[in-house]
This record gives sequence, structure tokens and C-alpha cells, in this order.
Amino acid sequence: MTPILEARGLVQQYATGRSLFGKPPSMRAVDGVDLAVREGEILGIVGESGSGKSTLGRMLLGLETPFAGEVRWRGQPMPAPRTDMWRRLRAQMQLIFQDPLAALDRRMTIAAQIAEPLEIHGLMKGAEAAERVAELMARVGLRPDQADRYPHELSGGQRQRVVISRALAMRPKFLVCDEPVSALDVSIQAQVVNLLRDLQEQEGLTMVFISHDLKVVHNICNRVAVMYLGRVVEEGPSGEVFGDPRHPYTRALVSSIPKAGRGLTDRIILQGEPPNPAMRPPGCAFHPRCAIADAACAGEIPELSGHRGRLTACLKQRAIIPATAA
Amino acid sequence: MLNFILSRMARAVMTLVMVMSFAFIVMRLSGDPATILLGPDAPQDAIDAFRARWGLDDPLWKQYLAYIAQIFTFDFGISMRDQMPALDIVLERIPATLAITLPAMILKLGIGIPAGVYAALHRESIADRGVITLSIFGFTIPSFVLALVLVLIFSVQLGWLPSGGQDSWQHAILPIVTLSVGGIGIMARFSRSAMIEVLGQPYIRTAMAKGLSWRDVVWKHALPNASVPIVTLVGFMVGALIAGAAVVESIFSWPGVGRLIVSSVANRDLAVVQCLLLVIASSMVAANLLVDIAYGLLDPRLRSKRSAH
Amino acid sequence: MTDTTLPEGTGTSPVKAGMVRRLRTSMPLVIWCAVGWLAAMVLTAIFADLLRPHEITAMSLTQRMAPMGTPGYWLGTDDLGRDVLSRLIQSIRVSLVIAFGATIISAVFGTTLGFLAAQFRGWVENLVMALADFQAALPFMIMSLAVLAFFGTSMVLLVGLMGFYGWERYARIARGLAISASAQGYAGAVVQLGAKPSRVYLRHILPNVASTLIVSMTLTFPEIILMESGLSFLGLGVQPPQTSLGNMVGFGREYLTRAPWIMLAPSVVIVLTTLSISLLGDWLRDRLDPTIR
Repeated sequence: MTPILEARGLVQQYATGRSLFGKPPSMRAVDGVDLAVREGEILGIVGESGSGKSTLGRMLLGLETPFAGEVRWRGQPMPAPRTDMWRRLRAQMQLIFQDPLAALDRRMTIAAQIAEPLEIHGLMKGAEAAERVAELMARVGLRPDQADRYPHELSGGQRQRVVISRALAMRPKFLVCDEPVSALDVSIQAQVVNLLRDLQEQEGLTMVFISHDLKVVHNICNRVAVMYLGRVVEEGPSGEVFGDPRHPYTRALVSSIPKAGRGLTDRIILQGEPPNPAMRPPGCAFHPRCAIADAACAGEIPELSGHRGRLTACLKQRAIIPATAA
Repeated sequence: MLNFILSRMARAVMTLVMVMSFAFIVMRLSGDPATILLGPDAPQDAIDAFRARWGLDDPLWKQYLAYIAQIFTFDFGISMRDQMPALDIVLERIPATLAITLPAMILKLGIGIPAGVYAALHRESIADRGVITLSIFGFTIPSFVLALVLVLIFSVQLGWLPSGGQDSWQHAILPIVTLSVGGIGIMARFSRSAMIEVLGQPYIRTAMAKGLSWRDVVWKHALPNASVPIVTLVGFMVGALIAGAAVVESIFSWPGVGRLIVSSVANRDLAVVQCLLLVIASSMVAANLLVDIAYGLLDPRLRSKRSAH
Repeated sequence: MTDTTLPEGTGTSPVKAGMVRRLRTSMPLVIWCAVGWLAAMVLTAIFADLLRPHEITAMSLTQRMAPMGTPGYWLGTDDLGRDVLSRLIQSIRVSLVIAFGATIISAVFGTTLGFLAAQFRGWVENLVMALADFQAALPFMIMSLAVLAFFGTSMVLLVGLMGFYGWERYARIARGLAISASAQGYAGAVVQLGAKPSRVYLRHILPNVASTLIVSMTLTFPEIILMESGLSFLGLGVQPPQTSLGNMVGFGREYLTRAPWIMLAPSVVIVLTTLSISLLGDWLRDRLDPTIR
């Protein structure tokens, strides 16, 4: 299957301060990521905060121009942000935000906000638009009488439904969900996740689902990429990555998922400092916290490569089992 | 920290360059600099000599550079009223202005800050209400109205203080009071809100939970933190004082810089106005630079951090 | 169960109605007085032509320096026998029109520059911020005096000049709020939908920052009145035969001992007007916008 979206060698870095003389200090949020998203799949991106997963998501949508590398949408390069071509492309790809209250204009009714993309892209107006808004609201489980409400009058889950219906207004092909449920009450999370999965199936959406919640990702995604300090350290079908994690970091993450009927006895507790993109360790960025790292790990950055049918970025994997074609 | 100071100095220099450019643009827009700086009655050969000397027939950018160079040699032209170098006239007036602005500044800080801090520590008390009310009156009464009311009471009715001139120290009292009242009000209000904000911070609760005495909490934790925003206001106060001096010196016939600027604007003595503009702007920029550096010294976040925010 | 059955927020009333109700129910007496005074001033300015008992230049040589309470001249007359009340009414109109016009100019100018800085960042932002620093570094009074010295005094120049008063505050506020709204907020979300900047700024950011800008306007308005009256007092603002509050006080100053009523009435009007707007502005700020101080 040909990928609908392809990223090659993506790098993003930000200045962390200003300097009068010389180059300002900078940090790399994303440090060389190759990724392909296939049509109709849900790709999960997991990692701790600071792993660069949100930045990656924004670059995949073309909201940020990468410092290096490129993103191709259906084989075409991503247009520069805020150009006319870029604006037209927004009808095909949309972002679901982490904090729905911040993403909504608190001085507009939700019906007006759901209708905005229709107005912006000049698709329909008047009664036709009103009908489409009502249809969208019903689609995401909002009541018709909520059309004239303001965002602060709704609950968190309802607000996220507003954001989702606004994103769906133009019938997009591709959706990036950036921590879509982490700001919501636990009791609401499952409903919103189920809604997203239903919509994905019914509308034939391609989705990138960014989260630090492994259980949710396991639940919804076909494929998953694990990120650590701006790089993908393991990638593969969701069942395989969670069932048989290869990278030591993924193993530690998976061991921390609580399972019914079993305590966290064999949980791997990570040692050392949590990852900080401003102070990236040399070599394999994970080596200071890794249980199986040795001197070589500090000297070489491991590439993401195939070992026994799986993609991992770990020198130890290569050492233990000789590389075979993926 | 060094980087911080350097960036502030760069900004100060940039502001000065902008003031100079402002003066240059305004002067070029308003007419021929030769007649402006020499006066409309200057003889033709003097004007020709001036034009040749300052290259007024050169392209504009060359004129601009020449103008900057001229300023750096402290040549601000000749006052058309007194036929003296403009800078001399201005410098001569500075001591008189300092004689009323410095005491006014001391009063502003010495009364305004303690009153504001006291009000913040005794919120909702009668003293707090009084400080708020007085401070609102302090900065809504224009200085010229206040000055006239003071003259009416203390000079005309009571005959205690002279209403104008510079013959004795009594003559300075009314100008100083007029200059400081508005500033005391602003200072008190600002100190009050800065202090209230600091007192609401979690570290104050922590300090109190540790069992520190209220006195120690206020002196060691609240005041040092509240002083950071208060110091920034001091820079603004310097500007307000100079502007206030223009009005107050005119009313009380006090022979300082402020009265000079009003009379030279009225007489269109442009060489003097231009010189005053640059001198005042330089002192303002210098004051703000000092405030910025003081701010950096008071704020430990800037002290330790290498880069400017 | 779906979360649509969760309890609702504040009922069916939209935001604006709620805000007006909140304003109405809890206005202290002093704010009512301030609003009343300001309403009287605005009405005076609008109906100045109908309210004036005499022409402002009409001189009555038999009634020079008549004290307050003289029949037909309730606030007395000045040194030329002109009616103080009539001149006061006209002065209120002139001063309010200048202050109002200047406040609008400064708010529009500053907000536009702030939005431009937020939209384009880079050198545009640096330029706007450098200009704002420059404006804040030079006392406005001194700058105005210099401009008036070079160009002479005229009404248009005066309003234009006052229109620069405080623009840098609006620019800073507008820039800061626009940047934070674009970074993660609603404005960024609308950009992400494909909206053009005109839509983002006019339909979304402007309505959201309007209350903050209006509060800033109530803070600059009295300052502009004070600035204009100060300049006019010094004889460098509004020129005779036109009259303004400051220039009335300036002329009255000469007769301080013999006819204090000439300067008294305009002084009281200035103080009460600036006081009312300041009180109202403070109160509005506490109510509507706790973010600026």
C-alpha cells in the first residue's frame, strides 16, 4: 500500500535563548524522523513529554516548517505555512487539540464555530450550512439545543466533541489527534476514544494518534512508533510492539502498563534523569537510563533498522541478533 | 548578566539614535535648517556659510551623518534669542531644575512606597482606604490646578510662602510639593498592588508555615520581591518629573529647564528646543538604563541567567 | 451514559447578557456618580450650542469680572466681560472631542501595529517594539512640545499629536494577546482551519481582546485630557479665540487673586471628569479584566 503521507529526515530545532554575539543556543525537539502513514490506518506515536511527539505531529500537518527534511502529502511536497495552497490543503487535513477550551473561541456559539470551516473554504452557507452543522453535531453526539451555547457552558468532553465536529466539517482525509483525551476526565476518555475510532471507520479517515497513554494507543492504533528525545526508537504493528517490545525503553514503558490480576512486580523502573531535549546525551540518547547499555552506546547514535522483522534503534539488538531484512 | 547589561546598553543606544533621527526628521520636515538654527533674520551670507558648512545641498543620508557627527561634538546651534550656544543656555538651567526635582523624587519614594506597603499590609483598614482615596486624587488633579490652589491658599490667603521666583529656599517649597503630590499617589498605589500580589504568592505562605515571624516574612521575603516591579516604575517617574517640571516651573517662575522649554517653544527658538530634546532624552535613557541594571541586580533569575529574557 | 447528560454550566443566557447583569447589580454609589457626571459631560458636549447662554466671544464691557451668582452670568465673567459658563460649555466640548478623537486614533493605531507585529514577527515586530520603547523612553509632554515648536500650533496637529499618546500600550497588549492566542489558543486553531489573517484578527482576536483594550482606553482617556489641558494651560495647545478647559485655567491664572472663579469652574470640571473616568476604569478593570494592572 502506498503511504498517503511520508516524512523523510525530519528535524526541528528551536532557539532556547538569545545571544548578542554568535549563534543563539538551540535545542532539537525532533532529530531525524522517517515515517510513513498508510491510507486508512491509525498510527500511534507514544513517548514521554519532551520526546518531540507533538512537534512531529505539527510538522506532519504542515503547521510548522521543518528545520531539515520534508513531508510529502500524496507524493507532493507540503506547501509553506500560510500560503493559499496551504490554506486549501487544510480542508483535507485537520488537528484535534489537547485542550479543547483553548482551541475554541469563547465569544462564539459552538454552531458558529462548527460552521467556520464551511465559510472559510466557501463550501456552503445559510440554510445548507446550518443543516450540515446540525448533521455534524448529531454525528459526534451533541444535542441540537446546544448549538447556541458558548464553550464555557459545555463540559470538557462536549467541548472536545465540538472540536472534532469542526475538524470533520470539510470531510478531511487525514487527522492528527494530539493528546485528544489527556485533558479530560478518565470517565469521559473512553467515550471520546470510541467516537474517534467509529468516525475513523465510517469516514475512512487516516489518523495519527499522539499520546503518552499506552493503554489508549494499544486500544485504538494499528501501528505504533515509540519516540525518545526526538527520535523514533521502535516502530511496528501495535500488537507486536506491545506484546513483544524489543527496545529497552519500550520494554520499560510496556512493563509499566497495569494489568488486571497482576501486580507491577516485574515493572522496569527507569533510572536517571527524565529526558531533557536541551541536554541530549551523546550517542544513544537513552543510554544513561538503559539497563543493558555499555560504552559503545555512548559513542554511536543507533539508526532505526530491521531486526527479526521489527524496526528498532538499538545497538544491542544488532549485537545480539544479526540484522535481517525487515 | 553581562549579556543582559550589554543588550540593555544596545537598546539605550538605539533609543538615542531614534531620538536623534526624530529630531532630524522633524527639523527637515518643518523647513530649512539654516533659517531654523540661525533665525529668520539671519543675513544671507551667514545662511550661505551655514549651508556650505553643514552640507545642506548634499544628499539626505550625508546630511544625516553630518548631523549625527555635529551632535557628537556637542554643537547644537545658536539660540536665535540670546545669540549664545544652545547647549550653554540649557546647561545653565540644569541646577535649578535639579534643585526641585531631586527633593520631589525623594518625597515620591520616601512617602509613596512606605504608604503603599503599609496599605497593603493593612488591607481594608481605614488607613488603606485613605491611601487609595488620596492617591486617586493625587494623580487625577492636574499639576497646574494643584499649583494654583496652593498659591491661592499659601501665598494669597495665608501669605506664608512666596508664589514665584528663586530668591530663597522658601521659594522652592510650593514647586516641590506640586511636583511630588501626583507621583506620591502613583507610587503608593503601585507599591500597594505590587506588595499585595507578592503577599498572595505561595512562597509567602511557605515562609509563614515555616514559622518565621510576620516581620521576617515581610522584610526578608515580601519586600525584596515587591521591589522588582517598583524599581521599574522609578524610571517612568524620571520622565514624569521632567514633564511636570515644564508646567510647574512656568507657574512658579522657576528658572529651570522646564520653563526654558516652554518659553523656547513659544518663541520657536528651535536650536534650544532641539538641544533640550536631546539632553532630556539622554538623561531619560541613562535613568532607564540604570533602572534596568538595578532590576537585573534585584532579580536573581536575571543574575544567574546568561541570556536576556 | 454519554457526557451530554452532564449538568450544564450557567443556564441558557449567553455571555454578554450575563456580563451586563453582573455589571448592573453590583455598581457602588461612587461609580453611579461617576457615570452620572460623565453622562452630563457628554450631553453638554453634544448640546453645547443649545446650552450656551451667550456667545463665547461676546464681551460685555459693563460686566467685566462679575463674580459668580451675577444674574445672567451664573459663573461670573472674565476680564473681557465674557460669560464663564458659556465658555465652560464650549471648553467641555472642545476638550472632550480632542480627548475622544485622540483616544480612538491611538487605540486603532496601536492595536493595528500590535497585530502586525504578532502576525509578521521578525523585523516588523522588532521595529514596532523599538518604536514602543522609544515612545516610552521620551516623556510625551517633551515630545509634544518639540513638535509644536517646529510646526507651530494648530487644532489638527494637536489632535494628531494627542493621537500618539499611549499607542505603545495598546500595541504591547494587542501583540501579547495575539501571540498567545495564536500559539496554542483559538486563533491558532482557526489558522489551522485555513482562515486568512483578516478573518483571524477581525472575527476572532479583536472581539476577544476588546474588553482589555476598552479598559486601557479608560486609562488613557483622562491622561489625554490632562495632557491637552496642560499644553493649553501653557498656551501651546488650543489657541484663542477657541477655548478649552486648560486654556481657560491658563487665562484665569492671571486673575487668581481678583477673580478666582475664572479658573475655578474649569479646574473643577477637569478634576471631576478625570476622577470619574479613572474610577470607572479601575472598577471596570477589576470586574472585566484582572490581567492588566
